[in-house]
Amino acid sequence: MNAWRQLWLVARREWSQRVRTAAFKVSTVLSVAVVVVLIAVPEIYGAGEERTRMVGVVGDASRAPADLIEATGKQLDVEADTRAFDSELAGRRALREGNVQVLLIDGSELVWEADPDERLRAVVTAAVAAVDRQAAIADLGLTAEEAARLLQPPDLASSSLEPVTTEEATARADLARIGLILLFMAIAFYCGFVLTGVIEEKASRVVEVLLSRVRPTELLAGKVLGIGLVGLAQFAIVATSGVVAYRFSEDVTLAPNTAPGALAWMVFWFVLGYAFYSVLYATVGSLVSRQEEAQSVQLPVTGVLLVAYLFSFAAAESPDGTAAVVTSMLPPTSPMVMTVRIANGTVPWWQIASSIVLMLVTLVGLLQLAGRIYAGSVLRIGRRVRWREAWHGAKA
Amino acid sequence: MLEIHDLTKRYGSVLALDGVAFDVAPGRIVGFLGPNGAGKTTTMRAIFGLVRADAGEVRWRGRPVSPEARVRFGYMPEERGLYPKMRIGEQLAYFAELSGMTGTAARQAVATWLGRLGLSDRSDARVEELSHGNQQRVQLAAALVHQPDLVVLDEPFSGLDPIGVEAMAEMLVETAAMGVAVLFSSHQLDLVEDVCQDVVIIDHGRVVLSGVLDDLRATSVHRSLEVTVNGEPWVPPMAGEVAGKRGGHVRVLVDSTTDVDEILADARRTGDVTSFRFEPPSLTDLFLEAVSEGRDT
Repeated sequence: MNAWRQLWLVARREWSQRVRTAAFKVSTVLSVAVVVVLIAVPEIYGAGEERTRMVGVVGDASRAPADLIEATGKQLDVEADTRAFDSELAGRRALREGNVQVLLIDGSELVWEADPDERLRAVVTAAVAAVDRQAAIADLGLTAEEAARLLQPPDLASSSLEPVTTEEATARADLARIGLILLFMAIAFYCGFVLTGVIEEKASRVVEVLLSRVRPTELLAGKVLGIGLVGLAQFAIVATSGVVAYRFSEDVTLAPNTAPGALAWMVFWFVLGYAFYSVLYATVGSLVSRQEEAQSVQLPVTGVLLVAYLFSFAAAESPDGTAAVVTSMLPPTSPMVMTVRIANGTVPWWQIASSIVLMLVTLVGLLQLAGRIYAGSVLRIGRRVRWREAWHGAKA
Repeated sequence: MLEIHDLTKRYGSVLALDGVAFDVAPGRIVGFLGPNGAGKTTTMRAIFGLVRADAGEVRWRGRPVSPEARVRFGYMPEERGLYPKMRIGEQLAYFAELSGMTGTAARQAVATWLGRLGLSDRSDARVEELSHGNQQRVQLAAALVHQPDLVVLDEPFSGLDPIGVEAMAEMLVETAAMGVAVLFSSHQLDLVEDVCQDVVIIDHGRVVLSGVLDDLRATSVHRSLEVTVNGEPWVPPMAGEVAGKRGGHVRVLVDSTTDVDEILADARRTGDVTSFRFEPPSLTDLFLEAVSEGRDT
């Protein structure tokens, strides 16, 4: 009997049993909904933010020319326009209905609906001041040259200590954060399936029937593979719906050049991270015979996963710091930290290569260790198996 | 032919198997008997490589058991187990495929088995939805679905009602009739006596008695004697210990060389002989004798 075929049969069972469950369908639909909403809502919300702010003008409009307000607004990064009203009453009604955000009466009084918008106040104030200055210049009878000298803004030299945050960099950082959360959730979620799956086989005692046909390594590897494929499939569905949602939204902040590469790396590191942690979860799961004990037995592994998560948040703050570089190379932390670093910018190829190699080497060693502990403990039904017993159980 | 050669297995300070050796031939049903903790389950697990023996080996058709040979074995562990939420049709097909059947062959075998068990219409039912008796049947089918060359069943009769016991015994006989080697353990000796042709009795990790059941009984140094005189139990003066009492009967074990005519004459002198049974010892007698002798030495 071909061991590979058995491994594949085990994986196929995991796949076919799990994609049929309500849990899978509900979690897929929910994830798609959450991703679409996350993408669509800032779009709706953002559109509201950037809506042109209207300045209602009543009475003497000479101190608030529309073109000047618009131009001043641009300088202060506010899109502003004006609208004239015949009477103060009509203006106040428009203010109350939200059609204008502020009412300028006779170029000297501002009326707000409630809390003043300070940026809009600055725009209007600057515009009115400019009109006043023009009037003063005309009164003084200055020449055009004198007027230009008076109005000439000082030319201040400008520089920054750190590199200026480009739109691209902001987008990368956003992507890294979203990716990190998704990666952590995916690893924790599917490793949870592996843990409960291993305990289920032990609790229902079916494991002895299985092991009379399949070696422990094939059973373990098949389970990890099958659940991993379910995870990838779900990820593909969610990611596709996310991309489609982006197509429909007109948001350009997610740098189109960055996204596909970072996404591919995320999937790659999900595979490695999932493989690493799921084998750990399967191993601790094989020590207990009841689902009730899952909580306590998984604690050390979940602890390591959480530490890796925290490290990757630190790495998001300074992706090229020593801590980030070191943790992105070492196996327990590398899947998440490296994902963050890659999404955040350019990582030297040798660092990526060595973290992958280290991870693969660790995985091979871990599989040997885990296979032995799993084999040594999975047939011991009853109380929780001690590590020592499991270790010696397989050899004996 | 399954050959078990001097299996030894130690768990810490406990010697679970101490040179266990016996054979199971194709078409034969071997009853594997012994008190709790004698080493029956450990021996069975060793056949499937679930326990690695410290010494000795298990051979199949003259060679050490290979993984290829092992998938042609069927096993029903003492701890029954199936996936509770998996449909029984799919589950049996899964086990059959794991044992090397192609998908098509597996589906055909499952259909045959479900028909045989009267569960054809429940192929899509989950195991947890079945009655206890039906779960037991599916469990047996899981051990037999891939048409194994050797079937090992650990306590197949435990937890069965009399009808289930009857069906299980019938199934074992049918299976052996197809040329399959059958090994099963039990401590319900009265059941074993009716089902198996060969017995292996194990105690403290050692085989204390093994052979063809009828031969063992015939060659025993004892005979079972049960006499009633005037409706009352009667025991000859030279009889040894009492082997059993039930109702108004007392059964004793006497030497196999005892002269039956002499005993009968003795009994007649006492009164009217109303019943007289002189026969080879039962399996229970053989078992108790073998186990106690093993412990004495």
